[in-house]
This record gives sequence, C-alpha cells and structure tokens, in this order.
Amino acid sequence: MSALSRSVTLAAAAFAVAAAVSCDPVVSDAVDALGGEAPGVRRGPLHRPGQPCLLCHDGALGDPPAFSVAGTIFDDPIDLLGEDGATVSLTDTNGSTYSATTNAAGNFYITPGEWSPTFPLTVSVTSVTTVTMQSQIGRSGACATCHVSPASASSPGPVCMQLEDGGVPP
Amino acid sequence: MSTPRLFIGAALLVVVACVKPDASATVALDAPTQDGFPYVAELMEHRCGTLDCHGTIARNLRIYGDEGLRYSASDQPCVPAETTTAEVGQDYQSIVGLEPEEMTAVVASHGADPEQLSLIAKPLGIESHMGGTLFSKGDDTYTCLTSWLSGLTNTAACVRALPATICALPAESSFDAGAD
Repeated sequence: MSALSRSVTLAAAAFAVAAAVSCDPVVSDAVDALGGEAPGVRRGPLHRPGQPCLLCHDGALGDPPAFSVAGTIFDDPIDLLGEDGATVSLTDTNGSTYSATTNAAGNFYITPGEWSPTFPLTVSVTSVTTVTMQSQIGRSGACATCHVSPASASSPGPVCMQLEDGGVPP
Repeated sequence: MSTPRLFIGAALLVVVACVKPDASATVALDAPTQDGFPYVAELMEHRCGTLDCHGTIARNLRIYGDEGLRYSASDQPCVPAETTTAEVGQDYQSIVGLEPEEMTAVVASHGADPEQLSLIAKPLGIESHMGGTLFSKGDDTYTCLTSWLSGLTNTAACVRALPATICALPAESSFDAGAD
C-alpha cells in the first residue's frame, strides 16, 4: 500500500470514528440545551449542579469520565443552594450498597469502577435529617433525568432536603 | 428479454409502486375490556411508570399516573394525589395500541399465550428489557395483567400486587414523588 493510500485509509477511518461518536442528534441537542458553563465555574466536580450528569458522563468515546450514578442535592427548591456534606446512600436490586458524599455544590458522583449497580435502585439522603425516596430508580443514574427544576407534570422538582414551606420531606 | 417486454415490465412496476392505499380502509382490532382496567392501570403506573422508565414522553408504552408523569400540564407528581380518569384512559390507549395485531390475537383467544405480547414478555425476562425482570409467571402482577387480557380481571391479585401508593405520603414532598 502506498503512503497516499494509507493516508486516505487512515483519514476515512478517523472520519468514520468521528461520525460514529457524534451521530446521535438527540443527545447532541440535549447537551446543547444545557448551555455553557456558569461564569467563574470551571469544568470539574463543582460544575453544572442540577443538570443530568450522565448526559455527558456516559462513557462514550471522547466524553468526560463515566459515572454510574450522579446528581445534586439542594437545600430547598427556592434557594437551590447545594447541600454540602450530605450522604447519599444507594442500594441496588441485588442488595449491593454504596454511599457518596456531596461536595460544596451539592454534587455527588460515582464511577462504574467504584460501583456499578444493577437497577432498580433505592436511595436515601442524610444531612441534618434523612429523607428516603419512596419510589425506585428504574434505569437512569442521573438524578436530574427526572428531578428537574421547577416541578412540572413530568418532574417532582429538584432533590431537596427541605420543602418550600421549610418542612422536611418524610 | 426483448426491449418492449422490459419496457412493459418497468411500466407495470411503476404503476404498482404508485398505487395509493385506500384511505378509507380499516382493519378490525380487538382490545381487552375496560372493566377492571383501572386496577391494571394503577399497577402499571407503580411498576412501570416511574419518570425514568415508561413515565416519560420519549419512550413507547407511555404511562401516566399520580406517582409519575401527569397528563394535565397543570398537575405534578402526587399533585393531585390520585390518578385521573384521563390518565387511565391514556394508559389504556397506550397499552392496547402497543402491538395491536398481537393484542387482537390474544384477546380473540381469551388470553391464551399472553407472552406473545411485549407487555408480558419483557417484564417476564423473555425479551430484552432495560427495566429488567419485574415479575414471574403465576405471581400476583402476572395474574393481574393476564386475567385482564383474558377478559375477566382478577382484581384481588391486582390489589395484592400493588403496594401503598407513595402519594399517600404528604403530597408537598418535592423529593419523594416519582423516580430518580
């Protein structure tokens, strides 16, 4: 094979790989809809609180590190301040358990290397008090797949340690 | 083959390919009874309709209910804390319209071989299902669904299969309603 043929073959292969990893317009549109980074916040553990982490952290080629479960715990649905130091305790359908602690933004994240659960999951969050999610997590490891702010017909609202009226979820 | 025959053959193909289907044509389909369906709907809402599974508009077999996706834009999960009549109606349409031909066959046979429906085969683990295996043959959930398909809903099995609704808890909770 000549040098020219090899170059053409390599270029075609690179193009095919690039096309393969970028050809899901639904995901691309969803990522675009999230907008850019907040001013003054770098990409990293504190960025994008309340957004569906696994949209990008999905393990796809070229994407940031994969997460198996990740999300954000807020103080209440009005202020939407991250709940720092909350413990997120998860149990998968096989009884395997894992706990993660939220950072200053309220974010927590678990990589597949740390814990690769089998869905469905149950979860409780402990900060000043403990709240337990009454329904199961069926298939999505990203809290914000469902817990979108504000509450709507398709969302119970963000994950908060307090209710709007200052009360505590059961 | 001679050129005239080729031409005629091509012309016939074009004609056949361009025939429009009869816009008034209909196919008769049978659907299971709506009697007892509210029990089935309640079970489906709880077991299948969490917001990250079938309680999302982006997935087929869309399921509405008080614990998850609401049909009215002004409602929220657990607000109000009961499934509305419109949501039960939407769930019925969603389920019977998933595989209408297969559903017709199952209904015509009074529920014989319900596993030919993805509705049963997927949660049984016979077909691949992202949500995993959710019930097994003979348990209350299976009995509830298959009895409805047979035309006589075993409401007692449906009630036994359904745990207390999460919406029985304080409805103001913004955390406990719905799935992840």
